[in-house]
Amino acid sequence: MKRMVMALAAIAVGVGALLGSAQAQAPGKKYTIALIPGLTTDAFYVTMRKGAEAAAKVVGADLVFQGAPEFNPVQQTPVLDAVIARKPDAILIAPTDKTQLVQPLKKAADAGIPVITVDTFIGTGNYRTGAGEADFPLSYIASDNVLGGKMAAQALAKAIGDKGKVYVSNVKPGVSTTDQREEGFKEEMKSHPGVQVLQTQFNDDDANKAASQLQSVYTRNPDLAGVFGANLFSAIGVANGVQQAGQSGKIKVIAFDAPATVVGNIKSGLIDGAIAQHPAEIGYYGVITAFAHLTGQSIPTKIGTGFTEMDKSNIDNPDVMKFVYQR
Amino acid sequence: MSGHTPVQVLTPQTSGRSPSRWLASIAGMRAWLFLLLLLAVFESWARISYGASFVLSAHNAQSIAVFAVAPLLLALGETFVIIAGGIDLSVGFIMGLSAVVAAQGANLAASVVPEFPAMLAGIAAGLLVSLVPGLVNGALISRLKVPPFIGTLGMYGVARGAAFLLAAGTTVPVANGWFAALGNARVAGFPVVVVIAAVFVLLMHYMLSQTRFGQHTYAVGASEQAALRAGIGVGRHTRRLYLLSALCAGLGGVLYTARFTAGAAQAGEPLLLDSIAAVVIGGASLFGGSGTIFGTVAGSLVIAVIQYGLVFIDVEPFWQFVAVGVVIIISVLVDQTQRRLGGDG
Repeated sequence: MKRMVMALAAIAVGVGALLGSAQAQAPGKKYTIALIPGLTTDAFYVTMRKGAEAAAKVVGADLVFQGAPEFNPVQQTPVLDAVIARKPDAILIAPTDKTQLVQPLKKAADAGIPVITVDTFIGTGNYRTGAGEADFPLSYIASDNVLGGKMAAQALAKAIGDKGKVYVSNVKPGVSTTDQREEGFKEEMKSHPGVQVLQTQFNDDDANKAASQLQSVYTRNPDLAGVFGANLFSAIGVANGVQQAGQSGKIKVIAFDAPATVVGNIKSGLIDGAIAQHPAEIGYYGVITAFAHLTGQSIPTKIGTGFTEMDKSNIDNPDVMKFVYQR
Repeated sequence: MSGHTPVQVLTPQTSGRSPSRWLASIAGMRAWLFLLLLLAVFESWARISYGASFVLSAHNAQSIAVFAVAPLLLALGETFVIIAGGIDLSVGFIMGLSAVVAAQGANLAASVVPEFPAMLAGIAAGLLVSLVPGLVNGALISRLKVPPFIGTLGMYGVARGAAFLLAAGTTVPVANGWFAALGNARVAGFPVVVVIAAVFVLLMHYMLSQTRFGQHTYAVGASEQAALRAGIGVGRHTRRLYLLSALCAGLGGVLYTARFTAGAAQAGEPLLLDSIAAVVIGGASLFGGSGTIFGTVAGSLVIAVIQYGLVFIDVEPFWQFVAVGVVIIISVLVDQTQRRLGGDG
């Protein structure tokens, strides 16, 4: 598997190199910027790529998009190595682990390739402090997932009238972004004394399991008031569990992220609201930041991108619709 | 394991129950006993700790049944393949491929026909597309002699890539009232998906236990050489088995799309190992030659009951991972020990 990924990445990079050398003959310096997502099979990163491509077009750079099909360092590292071998002018990467990607990324920095992390981070996420092994990336561009979790908590608290039992339906432990959403959610709920947060349920990104867990928690807690689905499959699974239990409208569901499926569920009333990140914005500012650095501008070490709260009342508004994750 | 198998199982004209089939049905029964034991544990826990019943709750029963449907559908086809001594690792992503194609088929058809025929078109598209990887699996294994583990692992990747390419890396929502009803409505109190799965179970049980196709499946698994000598078209039979397995996964994908009103390429990814575990807990041997449909049903329910029950009794989430693993190991160990003590036919 690993070898196959590596071979594919090598082929992709090889093809890219051919294209790149053809373009190098064009007048003026044309930069090549690589974007390595956490995984390729996710609407979030697909949307991020669109934003990055838009920015690349604006500044006249080439964008290389290569990644692994799963969110895991064992599969991401060979892709990164293949990309480094091609010597792009800058690398934008969503590292799949805070520590395991430090050494692999150091190889890029040592080769003189500027590294910017997007969506996720290495070390503490505080770069260029002169402290620690992992402060060499130039900038970290992402939505603040702790803040996103807090916003989800506020939306859910509002939906349930600030009292009752709630829980977090989460993917699996150890993923930095979803862990932070849960952390922010629980932290915010501390200032809502009427709300009791039950144990988190992990569903392995399986909607079927998330639905079953909702039903089980509901049997034990018939007064269950709401659930926070920390990602797409958690949210649609929980929404289905609520529907199966005949509690639609009674048990409130707040989702995180906004692919078209979630939007459909908000319209049909299965999901009460969603906190949408702005992945296109992350990709756009990633490329612009890299370009700014390459052309000698100073860049900030951290850029926080925004969130949009979606619910039935604003879902048809074009200003909100534009944040639905696009293919 | 196959060396011990008595020869009468290999001859299709034998109408009586052969020892190894008899043994398999006992093993299947053990899975049901294990299920009862689990239910008893959860029941007493519920009564002692909360003064409520776990088993006598229509809500719990329905939830567990619906939960078990998707892994069970994968496991039904897998039962045939495993009895014949093979394995199909591609079912998870065949399910995802079918889910995506069913969603896209229904959406595409909805632009020209009303919702109901659009749903039928989606179902047909989802089932038909599952036959393609099934055909290729069968051809690879029977004609090109690729080991099933490797052949279907390759197809796992191909189906996965195809599904994600079709879905452009995201999920495909379907806004079709009929389709949503198929996945979520109830008939006389029974969820439609459970009714469909139940009918399918009876059909598969009949196929495995009462038809020549079923007998040949046991024969091929017990000894391929002997089956060949007995005049069974092993190659053709193998191709049919992988087609059947893919079709079961396709049905799983179609029902997933109906239930969650969206087709997702990764729909079946987490279910593959659960479905294989269900077949083994149900008494089938990974070496081939034994297994029953009702055993697999029990195996699927065992897994669904543990996962549901642990949430119900409020076990710490990290311990749930451990507990599910331990219960699977215990149930198979019990089976193996009894097999050894009872002799192998």
